[in-house]
Amino acid sequence: MSAFLTYLLNGLAVGCAIALIASGLVVIHRVTGVVNFAQGTFAVVAGLCTSSLLGMGLPHGLSEVAAALVAALAGLLTGLAAIGRRGTTALSALIITLGVGVLAYAVEIMLWGDQPRSAPGLAGSVIVAGARIQTQHLLVIGVTAATFVLLALFFGRTYLGKALTACASNPYAARVVGIDIRLMGLLAFALGGLLGGLAGVLVTPLRPISFDTDVTLIVNGFAAAVFGALTRPVITLAGALLLGVAETMAAGYGYGSHQLEIALGLMIVVMIVQAGRRSAITQEST
Amino acid sequence: MIDVRDLVVSYGTATALDHVTLTVGRGELVALLGPNGAGKSTLANTLAGLIPPASGTVSIGGRLALIPEGRQLFPDLTVADNLALGGWRSGQRDPSPVYDLLPRLAELAGRRAGVLSGGEQQMVAFGRAMMSRPEALVVDELSLGLAPNVTADLAAHLAELNRTQGLTVLLIEQNARLAFDLCRRAYVLESGRVVTEGDCADLAGDPRVASAYLGGAIT
Amino acid sequence: MIRLVAGLLVAAVTLALPAVLDDSALAVYILLGLAAMVTVGVSLLMGYAGQVSLGQGAFYAIGAYTAALLALGGVPPVAGLVAAPVVAAGSALVVGVPLLRLRGHHLAFATLAMQLILLSLAGQLEFTGGDIGLQAIPQFSVGSFEAGSASAYAYLTWGGVALVMLVTHNVIASRPGRALRALATSETAAASSGIPVGRYKLVVFALSAAFAGLAGGIYCFYTGYVAPGSFPVLISIQYIVMAVVGGLGTIWGAVVGATAITLLVQGLNSLAALPGMPSYAPSVLSYAVYALVLIGVVLFLPQGLLPAVAGRLSRRREPVRTR
Repeated sequence: MSAFLTYLLNGLAVGCAIALIASGLVVIHRVTGVVNFAQGTFAVVAGLCTSSLLGMGLPHGLSEVAAALVAALAGLLTGLAAIGRRGTTALSALIITLGVGVLAYAVEIMLWGDQPRSAPGLAGSVIVAGARIQTQHLLVIGVTAATFVLLALFFGRTYLGKALTACASNPYAARVVGIDIRLMGLLAFALGGLLGGLAGVLVTPLRPISFDTDVTLIVNGFAAAVFGALTRPVITLAGALLLGVAETMAAGYGYGSHQLEIALGLMIVVMIVQAGRRSAITQEST
Repeated sequence: MIDVRDLVVSYGTATALDHVTLTVGRGELVALLGPNGAGKSTLANTLAGLIPPASGTVSIGGRLALIPEGRQLFPDLTVADNLALGGWRSGQRDPSPVYDLLPRLAELAGRRAGVLSGGEQQMVAFGRAMMSRPEALVVDELSLGLAPNVTADLAAHLAELNRTQGLTVLLIEQNARLAFDLCRRAYVLESGRVVTEGDCADLAGDPRVASAYLGGAIT
Repeated sequence: MIRLVAGLLVAAVTLALPAVLDDSALAVYILLGLAAMVTVGVSLLMGYAGQVSLGQGAFYAIGAYTAALLALGGVPPVAGLVAAPVVAAGSALVVGVPLLRLRGHHLAFATLAMQLILLSLAGQLEFTGGDIGLQAIPQFSVGSFEAGSASAYAYLTWGGVALVMLVTHNVIASRPGRALRALATSETAAASSGIPVGRYKLVVFALSAAFAGLAGGIYCFYTGYVAPGSFPVLISIQYIVMAVVGGLGTIWGAVVGATAITLLVQGLNSLAALPGMPSYAPSVLSYAVYALVLIGVVLFLPQGLLPAVAGRLSRRREPVRTR
């Protein structure tokens, strides 16, 4: 029982990290219609930055915040490439973000080499209902919960957040009232970078990160975002937690070597079911 | 207030507006008539600065707001939020002046815009445009899909604002009867060109205009 | 006329090159041909069916593993090489039925997932040799003739390229091919004009997989070794770069794109091997080139290199007319 609880809590922590990546994807996709393939890259950049900044003797907290801000800047630059030029289609933008991800490889290897790096997180562990859980896992869960609350408040309560939602809801109308939708798109990319960076900062102490970790991160994040049809943050969070728990349970009970296949297979099935439902709806409406 | 000279707008190789010249004086109520595909909405979007002109000039002598065709609200947001975003340009986020103008909107404030009736949505679009404290208002298809009494109500508000605040209005309409009731002067746009312009009274007497837009002679 | 002469010239140079190149240059020449083969398929898929596959490397791997397993099992290599594209196309048909219901970024991620799943399985299963892969694959042979030299593989590869180009040319020129053109621009329009969109898409998907499978088959005989590490995700991205650079939906563009990128990366690799360069230079330079070329072409030459250059030339030849 306590093993089960340990796996569950670890799985929730893994799911939270996925949820942060996925929420960045959702924010960017909602506002710009672009699926950002470089979303995993932001996490990698932030993770590698943290390890360097801590290595340089900067204190905890400051290092992590600075690293997440670097990721936000990376998000902004990605946005400039993807949507900065008028007339770039969503699919072209996807290919551009793919290019940005590969470009990041070059930069990352130059700055940090090609070996995985880690960073110290919160040490120690606590006993929760008889199950031992690492403090860092609790930190991941706590920060993710706080982030999602802040995101909900930002989009639901602030004027700027509502303007971003307006761009997603009706881009033409947003232009009618004078909102610069490209600027809002860049803001969404920066926010996506920040969220990806947060994931990277939190995950690096748990599992070492290297330049090509982004592929695993992005496919997991995309899989979770697909649950919410790339637009609904709450369902995305649920999907990410489910994915994290399922993968951790699979690993814990000895099917660890198949956890990637399980996650990806699940993602493909969800997408195909959704596509079937969508085409049924379009057929009805025509 | 609105001064358009020799305006050409094209989409790729297709020309949507072909040397259009049109003026609306400060405090004037002017109608723009024309069939579907004549370029009316293109003109509205160009006046609002959403489409760049290929050639010619558009000069606007003050703050201008557009009520676009089909309302174009933010369906996922509440009425209050729709109104607040209408003030994006002017910086006015408090919708209470618009509630004074259109008290019904205060009752709808918490509802999602997407679930409202067509008339209520048009009222929100009207209120949202007024949030930018415009001196000129371009109304694209006010009456489209609305019951006559709803249209009459909104038209009365327009006339009232014109009288009390000197609001300049360009009313883009397919319903010529409504346009002629409300406006003194009108332009007729066909295939991207202004084919007729003049006083509404004269136009209503013009047999071609009458047969095309009024379904026979005016009674 | 000019086209015919140019075509013959290209063919002559292609045939003459294996005789004059040394072994290390031949290796580049062979890998270039293999990449061109796959890229023709990717270009067909993206340009004609309007679909992005981030998993074309999976079919390359399927072809390689098929040929390798058969050859190691004692089947004549020719049969193995024929089986490689057939099995790849068959797999594409099986996975294509559900996957091609997806579009745009959904399909892109689904094909990427497909490749990741395949690599993960190949790395775990017994009969594929796990992470170590399959080794000591026999040389390619037809009857008593054995392809022992690199130049033999060069001829085999470029023969394959010619075959792939010929097949693609015939597909494009056929009536369904012209219908496919419509598919790339507007699927709804194509569907409403009575084109069986789904079936055509599936056929193009299978065809592109067959090309990749054939390339994979030749690859395994040439290197004598296949492992999951030979087919990273980046290889699929590389084919997209080549197809986009050459110009989507153009046969020659795919070959030009593959050539341009291969030579560029090769040139940078020799630059990176110069004394004084850091050890990470080769990978950094090739990643940077893939990325910058991809982004630059998508943003500034969306039609691709070949159509852009051809367009500029023909514009220069004709007097410029002003409107």
